[in-house]
Order: sequence, then structure tokens, then C-alpha cells
Amino acid sequence: MSITINDLTPGFVGDVSGIDITRPLSADEAATLEAGMDRYAVLIYHDQPLTDDQQKAFSRNFGPLELAAGGTVTKTAERRLDGEMQDVSNLDANQQPLARDDRRRLFNLGNQLWHSDSSFRAVPAKFSILSGRIVVDAGGNTEFADMRAAYDALDAGTKADIEDLVCEHSLIYSRGTLGFTELSDAEKQMFKPVRQRLVRVHPVTGRKSLYLSSHAGTIIGWPMPEARAFLRDLNEHAVQPRFTYAHKWKQHDLVMWDNRTTMHRVRRFDETKIRDMRRTTVAGDRVTVEQMAA
Amino acid sequence: MQISALNPGFVGEVYGIDISAPLSLDQVAAIEAGMDQYGVLVFRDQKLTDEQQCEYSRNFGELEATLIGQMSKPSERRLGPVEMGDISNLGPDGKLRGRDDNRRMYALGNRLWHADASFRATGAIYSLPSARVVPGFGGNTEFADMRAAYDALDTATKALIEDLVTEHSIAFSRAELGFDDYGEGNADKIRPVRHSLVRTHPVTRRKSLYLSAHIGTILGWPMPEARAFIRDLTEHATQPQFRHAHQWRVNDLVMWDNRTTMHRARRYRDLEEVRDLRRTTIRGIGLTAAQVPAMAAE
Repeated sequence: MSITINDLTPGFVGDVSGIDITRPLSADEAATLEAGMDRYAVLIYHDQPLTDDQQKAFSRNFGPLELAAGGTVTKTAERRLDGEMQDVSNLDANQQPLARDDRRRLFNLGNQLWHSDSSFRAVPAKFSILSGRIVVDAGGNTEFADMRAAYDALDAGTKADIEDLVCEHSLIYSRGTLGFTELSDAEKQMFKPVRQRLVRVHPVTGRKSLYLSSHAGTIIGWPMPEARAFLRDLNEHAVQPRFTYAHKWKQHDLVMWDNRTTMHRVRRFDETKIRDMRRTTVAGDRVTVEQMAA
Repeated sequence: MQISALNPGFVGEVYGIDISAPLSLDQVAAIEAGMDQYGVLVFRDQKLTDEQQCEYSRNFGELEATLIGQMSKPSERRLGPVEMGDISNLGPDGKLRGRDDNRRMYALGNRLWHADASFRATGAIYSLPSARVVPGFGGNTEFADMRAAYDALDTATKALIEDLVTEHSIAFSRAELGFDDYGEGNADKIRPVRHSLVRTHPVTRRKSLYLSAHIGTILGWPMPEARAFIRDLTEHATQPQFRHAHQWRVNDLVMWDNRTTMHRARRYRDLEEVRDLRRTTIRGIGLTAAQVPAMAAE
């Protein structure tokens, strides 16, 4: 059995077959998948019934894992999964769907905005690896946008305008967009804005991409309303249908994406139904720009 | 007078009329019928004074003051009466506004899809901006047809939204861009008002989506869920097939029906080039939803 990757969208989304990722990978297999990530940016695997431990072991082939702490308002005692598993479900610790007005649910609705995972961290994430343990029949698609293609399609004037721009990213911004503004002092401290370049270069391919995210709340040196209006225009450009792909989940699908070159979002679904998605995140290894001194 | 469709059933260009002169009742009726059919009408080469623009506009109802005019002191206004909406990048001295100018920050909200005056309990009927100076690059106004957008919804979504009521405030759209500095004495002007999400045009009886960047929540919904849903509806409603971009020429007058359309301005080099549009607005009649009496801004 050897790994095959077929185009779902040429150069953007690949469909992987010929590998069982529930078992340990050889170094060659891991290298093939990593090269596939660089070539595509999103890889989709089917029929991979994973335990959390197997998902973590698979993910570590691509680097150390990022911890969930710092990216959520769910308290440690309320967690359903361990600290290396990001809980992207709509469930509480008793496996019940969160109530409509539950604070954790309202916070998680921010995932319906186009974003790049952990862009609110000074060292943002490399890959996200999402396993569909229980999926919903209607809605709940995950959509992806190719930030390399979006960058390439900008006109020369815009490319020059944005080349050296630096944005501030924070969960305070993305959640504020949806009117989720009540944060404790500890949460405000935890979600303190970080800086990210607006144009970043992939360390392997050398390709430039737009580093956009709903977490981006302003541009350094710009008045905030002007920055936000401009970022909205860039976003609208970047998520045009020709740059996007929608994944409809089947149980035991695993999707991995490169947060350095893509944005994604989840679409609305009936949240009285159970949707149990579990994410591991491969940590990044560098900042995109120097941070403010603390 | 003739109207030629720029898109089927949406946006017509009007020929054979001089709107700087007084109109006959028949002409007014023909324009209103065109508005009911097209939602947006474009008149080219109409050189208007402010007085002529006001006079033309009063054919369609009473003039509505602009909110920013009401929020400003007389010395802060470039144009005289508050019924002349100043959609320009000029200060009261006639010079370009600076990058951090408070009014510039406020005006950036016009780049979000909205219906004019949806932050008023009665909304607005028509908006009628006249282009006096246009920039060489950018600054288009884009329109979206909220009737076609409604029609294209699936049955389940139509049923879900039929009776929903939204809250609108200027503060919601401006907060979206991080603006919240309205100056002293204007707190009463940012209180939310209520509107039905689905409204019916009084003449054509067609239903349309009453969306606007001014929407902050849906009654009975948690705010983040309401906002995420309104974003989805707005994304649907502003797809290219429902949209038209107007590229301004000097002496264009464009009138649109805020009950059936949304619009937005696009970016231009506003620190370098003048864009002087002057807008009259026809006051809405009646409510789309019951108000909370103490909350209704007017």
C-alpha cells in the first residue's frame, strides 16, 4: 500500500488514500505527507477511526503539539478532553450539547468567521489536524480558502501597499465582531493582542500568502476603522469562490491544513445535534514579526 | 422619459428627463413606478444645485435629516441644512479631512453593506445622492437587490426568518470597525430600534430581506448567534448575482429604495482626491415592527 494524493482542487486540496494513520508512520510516509501539505495546504483522509492518543501520535510526526490553553474560555475543570486536544465539539464534559446561551458555545461561534488557527498567539500554529468523531447530516461543513492564490491574485499596487504591514491579532477582536465582549480580567490578559505580518512567506516553498484572520483587529500605524475596513476588503477578495473549498464531513474523516497558507471556517448547523470534532495542533516554530516588549 | 434596465429587474438608467426643472405629476408617477420595478435608478448629466436637489426629492416625500448632521454642531457642517447629507471627505473648511479625523472614521462605516437610516424606527424610503466631484480611482457605490436575495432563499430559511425582529443602531455598524466616539449629547441617537427582518414593499407586495450593517442582534437570540446568522444572510444577499456597481460621473444622481436594497461605498484615495456627493433622503412612513416606546430613536 502506498500513499496516493488526488487533486480535489489542483494545488490546494488533496485527497489522501493508501495509508492507515491510526498506526505509527515510517519516516518516509511522514515526509511524503509533509511534502503533500506543502504542495496542497489541505489534505483529507477518510475512514480513519482514531483514538485521541492515535491522533496525537500521528500529529507529532509533523512537530510538537500546541496546547489548548490560551485559546478558549472553557475552564480546565470543565474540559472534556486533555490539554493537547482542542475540543471543537458542541458538548460539555457530560457529552451533552451546550445550552443555547452557554458562554462557551457563544465563544465557539467565532469559528464561523474566517480565521487561521492560533493567529492570536505570538508563535502561531503550523498545522491543524481535525478528526470527525461524530458528524452532523446537515450543515457544519468546514470551508477553506487558499491564501497563496489569494495573494497571487492581488494587483501589483495592493501587493506593494501591504508588503510590510503588521496586524494585531487577538481573540478579543474576533469575538468582539460577534458582540461577545464580556471577558474577565484574566481572559483579557490571556487574549492580549500579538503582532503578525500581513504577508508571510512559507518556510519551505518560499511562496507568499496573505496572513488574514478574523482575529486581526487593526494594522500598526493605521486608525482602527480604516484598518478594519481594509482588512474586510482583503478578506472579501481572499474568500471568493475561486479560492475556496467546502468539506462535507463523514464520520472518521481527518482533515489537516496549514494555518500559514489557509483560512477556514465552520458553517452553521443544528446545535441540538451532537457534532464531536477533535483537533490537534502542530505548533509553529517562529514569530512572523518581532513582538512588542512585554 | 425612458428607463433601460442595467440588470433584469434591478437598476434602471433613466433618459429623457431634466430633474433640475419642476416635474409634472405624471413624471413623478413614472419615476416612482420605475423605483418600484428596479429598486435603483440612475440619472446621468443632471447638474443640480442643493436647492434643486431638495426640490426634486420632495416629489417623493418629506426630507429626512442625516444622523451625522444631527450629531454635529452647525460649525462642524460644510453644507447648510441637516437635510443635505454630506457624503464627502471634506471638512467644514472645504479641505480634505485628515487621516485620524473623527468624521472620516465615522464615514468609513459606509463601506459596510447597509440600508440608509435603518437605525431609525421608520427607516428611510429613498436616498438620492448627487455627485458633484468624483475621484479618479475607486469610490464606486455597490447595490444589492434584497428582493432577489429573499426570493433565492430556501424554504426552510424563509420560514425561520419570517417573524424575526432585529435591533438596529448606528453604534452596531460603527463598533464593527472599532469606532465609538460620538461626542457629547448624542447617546439618545444610538439607541437601538426594531425592524422586521422580512419586509413587504407597500406597492409591489414583494418581500425583501431587511438587512443592514446597523443590525446588532435578533430579539430572543443570543447576540453572537444572531450576528453570525446575520453575517451568513448578508453573505448570501450580496453575492455577485444580486449586485450592481455604479461608477460615478460628475452630475450623476442615483436614487435607491432603502426598503428593497442595500448599498456600500468602495475604497478610494480619500486623503488625496475629493469625492463630493450630496445626499437627500426621503423619510420612512410607518414601522416595520413594534418599538419599545422608550427605546425608539427619532
